[in-house]
Amino acid sequence: MESTAKFVKSMVECSLLDKGLGRPFKPGARREATPEWDKDKCVRCGLCYVYCPDGAIYRTEDGLFEADTDKCKGCGICHRECWFGVISMVKED
Amino acid sequence: MDKFSLFVPNFLPCKEYFVPEKNPACPGCGLALAIRQTYKALEADIEKAEWVTAGEGKLFAKLFDKSPVGNSEPSLMRIKKSGGELIICFDNEAGGSLDEAAHKAMPAIAVAEGFHYVATASPSFPFDLYEKVKKGLEATGKAYIHMLCPCPVGWQFDPELTVKIGRWAVESRAFLLYEVGSASAYNQTITTAKPRPLAEYLKPQYRFAEISEQQIADLSAVVESNYKKLTEKIQPE
Repeated sequence: MESTAKFVKSMVECSLLDKGLGRPFKPGARREATPEWDKDKCVRCGLCYVYCPDGAIYRTEDGLFEADTDKCKGCGICHRECWFGVISMVKED
Repeated sequence: MDKFSLFVPNFLPCKEYFVPEKNPACPGCGLALAIRQTYKALEADIEKAEWVTAGEGKLFAKLFDKSPVGNSEPSLMRIKKSGGELIICFDNEAGGSLDEAAHKAMPAIAVAEGFHYVATASPSFPFDLYEKVKKGLEATGKAYIHMLCPCPVGWQFDPELTVKIGRWAVESRAFLLYEVGSASAYNQTITTAKPRPLAEYLKPQYRFAEISEQQIADLSAVVESNYKKLTEKIQPE
């Protein structure tokens, strides 16, 4: 019930504010799992960066890597290619 | 930092050219990975690149006239350069109506047509691919590069296996990585001393679910004969 009430509320809000229900498309919107790095184990080799098909992985200031959640599609190539098993795929709700 | 560190992307340009805001590719797309790596190698020449679907006249172009290789139209890339052009074929083995034998012989046809640089590449070997695209740009005259891009949807495997499958294709000698310079000097860039069994490459792909052991044996005989032909060309006696 709560979710339907929320949906109806958002519908009314949208129609009132003339926003429309459409949102800008983001490639990572349909992701099922997100990669997460074990920061103690990571050797900063950058193989995950090289093999990412969407260019979603970037390097932070301390040399570690993170995935841009707007671009990442959760394919799991980085998880599979990491030599040291640092990356784990965490399922989203 | 009290650890050894080797930053692999130091060997590649760090600038991202292929970051489309509305990238419609499936998760784990081998084609997107190959295009991203190719764009990194092209750098300044990226503006000269254009997607082509078909050509007319020569046999080489006619083969692609029948049906575009790939699930979408643009799978051939043409880069104009001084004194010729570089043609890159992103092959995800989806062109069903294309004659399979002719399809696999594209690099051989390119050699016969007198291309100055012909190579095969795979996105599973990014530095190999990078060097080949660079060489193709530097070569005088026409150049052709054939890339095998695993497609999780078409080949029906887990998207996280994209890079592994591309590597297993090379390790099982199903897809040989070589380059042909001027005066048809063959050179195999990635060699495997102990080839992986072909079944390990075919098994994870559900499109080969109904393949029998006899068919696998027949295929591995074809693979071995292809490898023999290449080794004979590398070392002519």
